Amino acid sequence: MLSRTADNLYWLARYVERAEYLARILEATQRLTALPLDTVGESNEWESAVATAGCANSFYAIYDEANEENVTDFLAFSIDNPSSIRSCFEVARTNARAVRTALTMEMWDAINGTWLELKRYGNGPTSREEFSRYLRWVQESSLRFDGSAYRTMLRNDAYWFTRLGIYLERADNTARILDVKYHMLLPAQEHVGGPLDYFQWAAILRSVSALTSYHWVYRESLKPWLVADLLILKEEMPRSLASCYENIVRYLDDIGSAYGRQGPSQRLARGIRTRLQNSRMDGIFQNGLHEFIQEFIADNNRISQTVTQQYLA
Amino acid sequence: MRIVISHDTIYRYERPPSSVIQTLRLTPRNHDGQYVVSWRLHISVDCPLIAQEDAFGNLTHTFSADGPIDELVVHVEGEVETEDTHGVIRNAVERFPPSLFLRETPLTQADDAIMDFARQATRGTDTALPRMHALLGALNTEIVFDTDPTHTATTASEAFVLKRGVCQDLTHVFIAAARSLGIPARYVSGYFHRIDGVVEQEAGHAWAEAYIPDLGWVGFDPTNGISATDAHLRVAVGLDYLSAAPVRGTRMGGAGEEMSIRVRVDQAMRQMQN
Repeated sequence: MLSRTADNLYWLARYVERAEYLARILEATQRLTALPLDTVGESNEWESAVATAGCANSFYAIYDEANEENVTDFLAFSIDNPSSIRSCFEVARTNARAVRTALTMEMWDAINGTWLELKRYGNGPTSREEFSRYLRWVQESSLRFDGSAYRTMLRNDAYWFTRLGIYLERADNTARILDVKYHMLLPAQEHVGGPLDYFQWAAILRSVSALTSYHWVYRESLKPWLVADLLILKEEMPRSLASCYENIVRYLDDIGSAYGRQGPSQRLARGIRTRLQNSRMDGIFQNGLHEFIQEFIADNNRISQTVTQQYLA
Repeated sequence: MRIVISHDTIYRYERPPSSVIQTLRLTPRNHDGQYVVSWRLHISVDCPLIAQEDAFGNLTHTFSADGPIDELVVHVEGEVETEDTHGVIRNAVERFPPSLFLRETPLTQADDAIMDFARQATRGTDTALPRMHALLGALNTEIVFDTDPTHTATTASEAFVLKRGVCQDLTHVFIAAARSLGIPARYVSGYFHRIDGVVEQEAGHAWAEAYIPDLGWVGFDPTNGISATDAHLRVAVGLDYLSAAPVRGTRMGGAGEEMSIRVRVDQAMRQMQN
């Protein structure tokens, strides 16, 4: 396969996954800000939404204040923001068109249909209700794309590169949510157990569709260190860091054995997975949750660069 | 190196036992120089198999099977990607501080002869790493590999008197000698891919790890006289053979037990590394 084709497939999947992630952040923020002020306290959730999306710099270059209007516009519809939901779908569609023949009909329909429908939303919906529907639609579009790839693609390097894109992006996304909210997950805070904490933890879990899973796994009320355990170390939790790396390693290994050659990406990915597998939550808290997450984000970026150098450039 | 393992432990009984209980340490874990691509464990009789982690961080599987049992086969197979790290083990599961591995066990007690040998062999070296290399070289020539005279309960000092033994005995002597020099050392059970191309082996392999300041745990294989390489697949660690043994168990009733082992350590299709 041409490295250019692999690159297109990889970024196509990454951008669709990113669009879904942005929709998840916005949905969680909408939910948090809908709570009465005395429950939520002073924190500005729209500000933390921008931080979680990882585009604070470009946001403040355009806007002065992080409020509902500015942030929803910037993250969902702005064409000035290369990582808005709209830009993500546009880039994804451009990538898809460039490798049209490497996709199945169903995948192309999913991504092209999304792009066509995106136009209907124009510069944004007029009401909160409509915006909620829009966010659901974004997530469903990603689901449709992901599902059609899973159900229809031939299992060869084309499939593996799309999967790799999804899981690298997802690992980054979950880590970013943890990075912004890590202070909420530290044990033994003074006001632990207050309503604010409860809603924050529930929001973190909801943003990665893990609230029900949490109760299945732990059968307990929400405890911050268990929330962290679920999102970092539990391989059975689909958006956890451990689960993402289980998949990244697997698809890199598939690529490696198909090409009969392996390199730094495989080595690095296995190293990160080993660290996740051999870690325990108490050890992570002891050495600093924040440091752990920051290191993970840096490692994850390094893998993306290595994959690019090894296969996509 | 991509190592492919197939390992059968077969028990046959003249008079079938009414039940068998075993603890298996047959599942490797990942660390920087080793990645388990796939691994499967199969017991030939119906039984609940309980996976746990032991005190050293080894993965164990325990089963109890009800008989009568004429034949029992414990089969493991898998594929592991290894890398040469010059014997240095990084990011493995560590549940204890290294100093725990200074503890003597009945199998690894250093008698005067071993202590003397350790001192002689390391004369002229001042730090841990050259000492362990000196010990490795000396031990490899001192004890001859011979499967006949020793058995699984042979102690380090008995093997040292015989000057003969299998990898288990050489490893026990190495551990006893290292600990007598104040260097933490432990037993590693696993598999070794032979350079001479022999794939069918009579048993798994065993070697030692010594704790070197600044480097951490480093693998030393006294049977082959080398540091652990990418041909070594590490499965379990312990204070001695007993705490790292691949299979330990007991049976109720029955008689005339006969055990045989079939190990295949092969390399998967060759790959280029870049």
